[in-house]
Amino acid sequence: MPVLALDAGNALFKSLADGQDPTAKLRAGLLLDQMGAQGYTAMAVGQRDLVLGVDFLKKKTQGTKLTPVSANLVDAKGQRLFPASVVTTAGGLKVGIIGVSPASGSDGAAVLPPGVQGQPVQPAVAAEVKRLRDTAKVDLVVVLAAVPYAEAVKLAQGAEGVDFVVQSHDGRGVGMAQRQGVSTLIPPGERGRQVAKLEVSVEGTGPFSDQSEANRALESQRMVEANITRVKERLKTEKDEATRRSLQETLTSFEARRDALGRTAAASAPVKPGRTYLLSYVQLGADVASDKAVQQQVERVEPPGSAGH
Amino acid sequence: MSPRRLVALALLLLPLVAGAAPKKLVLLFTGDNGGEIAPCG
Repeated sequence: MPVLALDAGNALFKSLADGQDPTAKLRAGLLLDQMGAQGYTAMAVGQRDLVLGVDFLKKKTQGTKLTPVSANLVDAKGQRLFPASVVTTAGGLKVGIIGVSPASGSDGAAVLPPGVQGQPVQPAVAAEVKRLRDTAKVDLVVVLAAVPYAEAVKLAQGAEGVDFVVQSHDGRGVGMAQRQGVSTLIPPGERGRQVAKLEVSVEGTGPFSDQSEANRALESQRMVEANITRVKERLKTEKDEATRRSLQETLTSFEARRDALGRTAAASAPVKPGRTYLLSYVQLGADVASDKAVQQQVERVEPPGSAGH
Repeated sequence: MSPRRLVALALLLLPLVAGAAPKKLVLLFTGDNGGEIAPCG
């Protein structure tokens, strides 16, 4: 299946004080090189991506396929510092990917380099969504939102034309996909410990529905069905009347549960033709083999046994 | 419509019917990596 790799931002530095750490620049450079080499299409510009300034990020991504995107970061003259979005086609779908950064002066205000302003998030995204829908005629809009969680929720609730909002900023880790008004909020994981995998299927138009709800109900239904079979087997051989009564009650209860789950599965099954998604996480633990060449580059920056390794 | 034209029309419409299958795509997301490059770093 065709794959698009995207980063929701705050990839490069641990904290805003990281600029003082001599290895921080090497780590950030290695990360950008690897994101490019691994075929990332775009990354949102988070405040922890600008610790060494706008020019560092621009220079390190120049001439690569990785595009840093931000619809609302501007310079002192109000000129946009990065492209607001990129459009790419994969799996026969035209996908618009918008980046957005924290707004200056908002709650939990952005800490941005001198001369860099974060304009209000929602109007910037709305304008870019309109352009992508009207002009670029995209099939799918993903917002990489490197903004505080509360801001991302507001964005997902109100951004007409956005299918998915993927949030980074607070290091919230993994979670469920949450339907928020008009779009769905996706947690991308954190600290390179996992990758969020969103499988989308598009047939026709309309809102996306979560395939996992129907899958969960069907899976539970299968487990209850297996229990029903076991109880029926026991009933065939059980002679004690009291035990038989108890087993019969259990059977009745299991059958009621199975029927209820069947109704849930039918009610939550995606409408066909329609658009569905399924979110899962790939854990990047010790069981995932390291790429030897990449490991050597990592060890040049952080030798085994060093504080960071 | 002549049978030949009908066949031609059917051939023309065939890609549209074949294209009606759902389009599928996997989106991989990372975020909040915070400068991590090593398993414990």
